[in-house]
Amino acid sequence: MNLEKIIFGFFIVLALTLNVGFVVGELANPGHHSLWMLFAALLVSLLTTGLKIGDRSQIGAVLLSTSLVSNLQLILAVSVWAVLEGGMDVVPGHDKMVAIVSLAYGALVANGVSVLMLVSDTLMSRR
Amino acid sequence: MAATSELDRVSAIILRNMRTPFLVLLATYAIGITGMALIPGEEGAEGHGRMNLYHAFYFFTYSATTTGFGEIPRAFSDAQRLWATICLYIGVIAWLYAIGSFIRLIQHPELLTALAERRFARSVQRISHPFFIICGFGDTGSLLARGLSENYCTAVVIDSDTERIKALGLRDYRISMPGLCADASVPKHLIDAGVTRTDCRAVVTLTPSEDTNLKIAVMARTLNPSVRIVCRSTTQQNREYLETVGEVTIVDPYEIFARQLRTAICTPLLYAWEDWLVGALSTDLEKPPVPPLGKWILCGYGRMGKAISSALKERDIETVVVDPDQVPTDSELHRVMGRAGTSTLREAGIEDAVGIVAGTDCDEDNLGILLSTRKLNPLVFSVVRQNHHENELAFSGARANLIMQPSLITARRILLALTAPLFLDLRIYLRSIEGRARIGEVVDRTERIFTGRRPRFWTLSLASAGTAIVSLQRRGVPITLGDVLRSPVDRTRRLEVLPLVLQRRGTSIMLPDDGLELTDTDTILFCGTVPAGRMLASSLQNSYTLYYLHTGHEEPRGYFAFWLAKQRRAGDRPARS
Repeated sequence: MNLEKIIFGFFIVLALTLNVGFVVGELANPGHHSLWMLFAALLVSLLTTGLKIGDRSQIGAVLLSTSLVSNLQLILAVSVWAVLEGGMDVVPGHDKMVAIVSLAYGALVANGVSVLMLVSDTLMSRR
Repeated sequence: MAATSELDRVSAIILRNMRTPFLVLLATYAIGITGMALIPGEEGAEGHGRMNLYHAFYFFTYSATTTGFGEIPRAFSDAQRLWATICLYIGVIAWLYAIGSFIRLIQHPELLTALAERRFARSVQRISHPFFIICGFGDTGSLLARGLSENYCTAVVIDSDTERIKALGLRDYRISMPGLCADASVPKHLIDAGVTRTDCRAVVTLTPSEDTNLKIAVMARTLNPSVRIVCRSTTQQNREYLETVGEVTIVDPYEIFARQLRTAICTPLLYAWEDWLVGALSTDLEKPPVPPLGKWILCGYGRMGKAISSALKERDIETVVVDPDQVPTDSELHRVMGRAGTSTLREAGIEDAVGIVAGTDCDEDNLGILLSTRKLNPLVFSVVRQNHHENELAFSGARANLIMQPSLITARRILLALTAPLFLDLRIYLRSIEGRARIGEVVDRTERIFTGRRPRFWTLSLASAGTAIVSLQRRGVPITLGDVLRSPVDRTRRLEVLPLVLQRRGTSIMLPDDGLELTDTDTILFCGTVPAGRMLASSLQNSYTLYYLHTGHEEPRGYFAFWLAKQRRAGDRPARS
């Protein structure tokens, strides 16, 4: 058991689960997507990026890049929510909700790749 | 340059052979079409009813090629029908002649050779990695090609025998080996085979003719001053000549055979180890056949017999020669005249001999000697020479103590020289006084590491593969040879890899120790299984794996983890003190 591995794995998987938590439900229904969930997903994703910085191995580089993609997508999603159609004070309309959730779906894919690579790396090293 | 001249030759042959048929066809078409257009047809609404030139051409085309659509565009007049009949016959005859000529052309031996040469030159041009040129695809050549294919090395083969090149095409090599049926001593063919390319690692000449080998060596050296040449040669005179050519590795199958035999007799353990390592899995490392020391009988005193006799004499082994040839020999030699048979063997003292070498160049004789020996003295240790590869089954049934194939021994030797040149250094070392003391140790190590799977050799240069090692070294983590050989799955286990020679700045360290620290100037010859080799290569690439192999615990990855590890260490320290 390795403390580093525990922390690392915990945050990578948490980023994925929070992301899933945000996107599930009807795509355009504002009632199914919580702003707080999106906020938490973004925070954890940023934190994960921080953990990944400094790994010199090949797999570390790819993990970092997937993390950067997920950050970018989530930041865009939050920006759309905050800036368009009256900001966060009003319930978002149909078009705006579709844009936000689509962006979050993109981040979900990047997070999924991250977890996949983490698992396969662990299996490959076999120790 | 070579390719264009080849192209010229091909087109010249085609033009020369197809010119007359083409002219005949042209004339026939001209006559037929002109006649058809001039002959008046049925009077119709448009007037005279003659065919225009285009319709005449169309008619002639379909009738001369025997397609025959009928009377198009409208029914013919009688005059037209008469001309159409003539057209049919002359057209068909002209076409038959043209097709016949074409078929003769594509069977033209010169054209076929020219095309084969072009195809060969093209496929050599397409090779984008280092390759070898083998001239002569006999027993030795084909065994060498097989060995190269097993090491995933490409070879280009030239042999003057069509049958051998056909045989090459039927082999199931792991990679394609282009072959050309031609005289390899002609410079053009050597250039086609790529001798002038920088990718060409070596030219190996193995033709049965000494003179051809010599010629190829000279040509290759002139065409490419830096290429390595391995030349088969058995006479002293040629060898001296080859030395002036420069940088030629001379391979004398008889001498190699004799030395191998001496190794087999004097240091059987070393012989068994080498035999096992280069591919004879049947060799038993635990109990190798041990030839006894004492009087040996040599049957056959040709070039090989002489080499064996002098090799054995160097180790003070008494020999008696049985040979039918009346040749002047030195007086010291104890010899019996005549073909080896029951009486001559008895005369040579088979009853009190410990070993016999059936070493004539005739396989039937060798098997016969084996049979009479078994009758006269069944306890004698028998070594038999197998000349032809196809007699394998007969020899394996003869139950000799040791079967030696000159072609196989030569092929293995050349293969080692080409793919693992450092191994030859090791062989020389193990035959020296210092090295002989370590044979037991190396056999022991081999037995401990390998579990029966076939090992192969590879040379690793740390100048290119050692960047991770160097970066760790700069951070104060010295990586040793033993670290690298640990299994990345579990560092307490060892990979099935045995380091044989480590070369560092011109000096070679034979059978290097596990504690040896690696640097980026090292070149190491390993022998090991294929999966183990892959594991080794992947752990060399990854500095985290190397760190684990060296220290036994994971290096923190990422700045945060590094900081965390530092904090924990700082937290541990006061608690301990």
